[in-house]
Amino acid sequence: MDYFAGVDIGSTMTKVVIMGEEEVVISLVRVTTPEQRKLANKVMEEALEKASLSFDEITYVIATGYGRINVAFADKQITEISCHARGVASLIPAVKTIIDIGGQDSKGIKLSGGKVVGFVMNDKCAAGTGRFLEITARALGVKLEEIGELSLTARNPAEISNTCTVFAEQEVINKLAGGVPLNDILAGLHQAIASRIASLVSRLGIEREVMVTGGGAKNVGLVKALESKLDLPVLIPPDPLLTGAIGAALLGRDLVKKAKNEGLPVTKRQRSLEEVKFFA
Amino acid sequence: MAEQKWPEKYPVEGKRGRKYGTVAAMRVAPMVKAAIGGAVEAKAQGKAIAYCFIESNYDEIIRAMDIVPMWTENYAGICGAKRDTQRFLDKADSLGFSRSLCTYATCGLGFDAWREELGSMPPEAPWGGQARPDVMLSSGQIICDPRNKWYQAVQQFMPDVPVYNCAALWPLYEDDIDRREVEPYYVKYLAEDLRGLVRFLEEHLHGKMDWDRLWEVIKLADETTDLHAECRELRKAVPTPMDTGDAMNTMVPQAFMMGTQEAHDFYRDLRDELKYKVERGLGVIPEEKYRLIWPGGLPSWFALMDFNYFWSKGAVFPVESTYNELVYPARELDLPRTDDPLEYMAWRWMRRQTYWWDKARKRPGSEPDVEKLITWIEEYKIDGVVIHEAYSCRSWHVGLLWQVNQLAKIYKPIPVLILKEDRKEVEYRELPSLVLESDMIDISSYSEAETRAKIDAFIETLESIKSRKVEV
Repeated sequence: MDYFAGVDIGSTMTKVVIMGEEEVVISLVRVTTPEQRKLANKVMEEALEKASLSFDEITYVIATGYGRINVAFADKQITEISCHARGVASLIPAVKTIIDIGGQDSKGIKLSGGKVVGFVMNDKCAAGTGRFLEITARALGVKLEEIGELSLTARNPAEISNTCTVFAEQEVINKLAGGVPLNDILAGLHQAIASRIASLVSRLGIEREVMVTGGGAKNVGLVKALESKLDLPVLIPPDPLLTGAIGAALLGRDLVKKAKNEGLPVTKRQRSLEEVKFFA
Repeated sequence: MAEQKWPEKYPVEGKRGRKYGTVAAMRVAPMVKAAIGGAVEAKAQGKAIAYCFIESNYDEIIRAMDIVPMWTENYAGICGAKRDTQRFLDKADSLGFSRSLCTYATCGLGFDAWREELGSMPPEAPWGGQARPDVMLSSGQIICDPRNKWYQAVQQFMPDVPVYNCAALWPLYEDDIDRREVEPYYVKYLAEDLRGLVRFLEEHLHGKMDWDRLWEVIKLADETTDLHAECRELRKAVPTPMDTGDAMNTMVPQAFMMGTQEAHDFYRDLRDELKYKVERGLGVIPEEKYRLIWPGGLPSWFALMDFNYFWSKGAVFPVESTYNELVYPARELDLPRTDDPLEYMAWRWMRRQTYWWDKARKRPGSEPDVEKLITWIEEYKIDGVVIHEAYSCRSWHVGLLWQVNQLAKIYKPIPVLILKEDRKEVEYRELPSLVLESDMIDISSYSEAETRAKIDAFIETLESIKSRKVEV
């Protein structure tokens, strides 16, 4: 029995998926910290323990996410663009546009026949990312996981004119001090971020079906605001944080399968489940 | 990646990753350094210095009159390549110039303001600094919007230095306009404008134009362009013997030394080197997987190593539009006969600017810049497009996005059945594009990690598209 692992090190969350030939055996999501990145092997060890597997039983490991270079025990590094595409295509092949809203960046991926044909990334500015909501939620004294639901109760969404996260933080504090209801402010914030993301992804030419992944997909207020901006419904995977890691594991499986079919040896790195050394 | 058997005639550079770069490109930095230092020296000897902009159709005039050009955009680029722009940008910022302006201009303004304040070059100015001009030759060439205002603004610090505004214009493309109907008006205007420039230079620099010498310089410049165009043709070979990373250096003689023997000899040597390599199948990288086009726009001068990163992924750029705008041999332009060198220069300028018009008119919805790219995409066997949105280069920025969108309409991801001799193949003739974002010299806008993450994802996209080629 072959097992395949996908390790997705995002800016806020580290995700590990181990799968067999067909199904996911175990998945794990942990908070990314600088120490966590240094110790990606620990998360992998935890996943292996839960799956009652040893590292030697993993046929192929693919690392993805912006911290993929920190996964010294991976056989191959592949960008999150390709991994998300593979993961989403396996879940719903009809998807042609992916909107991934992560902690540090947001991106759009265009698919054709399950393959990536174009992508855009917002990596220059926190506006349009999970970080934007995280910072403003903190400024408003609301828990991040509550802001989506709260925003849906708004009657008159406030207009947030600043697209700069730092200035937007000040703007929402001023609005709160000026008596604007919290839910209206939150609705305005969600509309602002949805607008940024919609503009970014529109460069690709949005085609249905559209799937939203990443932590942002777990925010119902943001998803609704995005649907309103795009004027179409979006799909949310069962666990939107895991599509990249699932895709990584699947790409590993694809590579091994292809090699076997062609009678070629599987090229693997000399690997051991240790932390990366270049931090020392 | 496999090694190539490399001839001793063209030694491998082997430093800074530019393993298979051209030997000719290695000559460029010393040439530019000598020109910058030479201008400072010439100033000390009392020779006339002119601030100049490239591609402004006055190169031969200044060379024929022995005026030493100081290319201000080039100097800003040098500061960028040496990662020494911040202090000049900060200086301009302190004077109230917006950070949204062209950073070439703000770098130059900061430099000039500082030099004028000190009465000498700013400390440790890159390559000896930018020599103080006697005249400034501005340009209305429409690709760069800040040019006219730049030298006007510089006059705040150097009110004694006169400015001549060259029109260097051309008609904007309309598919229902035949260029032949409008060209004579523009040519008449351009020739008069150049006559005005000659009078301005004679008056302010107390020299006289030698018209026979001007014809000689024009002839030399035309021969130089012919050689440069030959170099571009040779790059069509697979594997390509030279890519855009090198072309961003080898453009220097064309852009900054036109009308000199040095520029002519440079392209003769480059042509010979490329011929030699093509005949022996020597490429920038031995195993080309992907051939890309740089459709225009300025690179990040401080991050030219990103081209090497593409090489490490098996990707090369056999052609680019940047600095190739005017590299069309005069013999291909069907120029009317004239005894007036200024009229000749006006016709040549006009015909080079309208070079792609006729072809574009044959394709509904096309446009000359797009037509040029389509032609090159086919001729150079291009797999993908990479553009750089330099945030402070506004005019190019806007046009590039439009061009990429037009190309996306033509190269749609649709299956095309190709009949080969012994088989049928389904090809998805599509052309993915990558948009890099930064600036030409403002390093604060650049992130190496993010740029390379985008390149990685783009290479995976190219790989994914290639894997969709199915034999049926």
